[in-house]
Amino acid sequence: MNRQISVIIDSPSDATYHVATIEALEHAVEAVGLNLPIVVVRTPDVDQTFLDSFTGGVVIGPGSPYEVPGNADDVIRSARERGVPLVGT
Amino acid sequence: MGITDAAHDEYAHAAGQDPTGTSVVSLLACSLAGTTVTLKLMDNTRLAGMHAGVEPVVEQTTCNYGLDPKVQQIANGNGMAVSAIDDTGEVRAIERTDHPYFFATLYQPQLTTSAASPHPLLTGLVAAALAN
Repeated sequence: MNRQISVIIDSPSDATYHVATIEALEHAVEAVGLNLPIVVVRTPDVDQTFLDSFTGGVVIGPGSPYEVPGNADDVIRSARERGVPLVGT
Repeated sequence: MGITDAAHDEYAHAAGQDPTGTSVVSLLACSLAGTTVTLKLMDNTRLAGMHAGVEPVVEQTTCNYGLDPKVQQIANGNGMAVSAIDDTGEVRAIERTDHPYFFATLYQPQLTTSAASPHPLLTGLVAAALAN
């Protein structure tokens, strides 16, 4: 999997906190000055392939409880165990 | 950390159930939803370093659940450190001391960021991601 910022969030793409999260990351990417894709990943779509291969960074977005809470927990665990940068908000 | 029956009360409440086990995440005594919180940053943490020279640090939050005060001591040890508390002494941010970049916050930095002044927690994430 290519390096990206994975955003674990289940709210609709026009929901206030969803929009705020994506825009905040766009501000951060622009400030750092290097292109990095920001990719929304819904908890129902988290599978073992994703858990084993996501790289770059992860934001656990607001909006818990998630549709599949255990999958959000698995992403957090995988980031912790594999040293992938993570911010949980 | 030795808590074999750790419980997340929000998940139980969402399922219409009463929490069982040892609550690690529980309903806050006073909901923070839609409020601001002034952080006390803990010395010698990476989060404090990110906000160096900024006083006070005021964040916005949507949180109703947080780290149960009865188990707050687990956040200072086992590879973790409390990064920030609020004016009631409750934990508002944790960082891992054994990880390249790993933060959990009971506030939403995405609500206090702008193109002109992006939040340091998120620019730090992007910088760390580029090195990952």
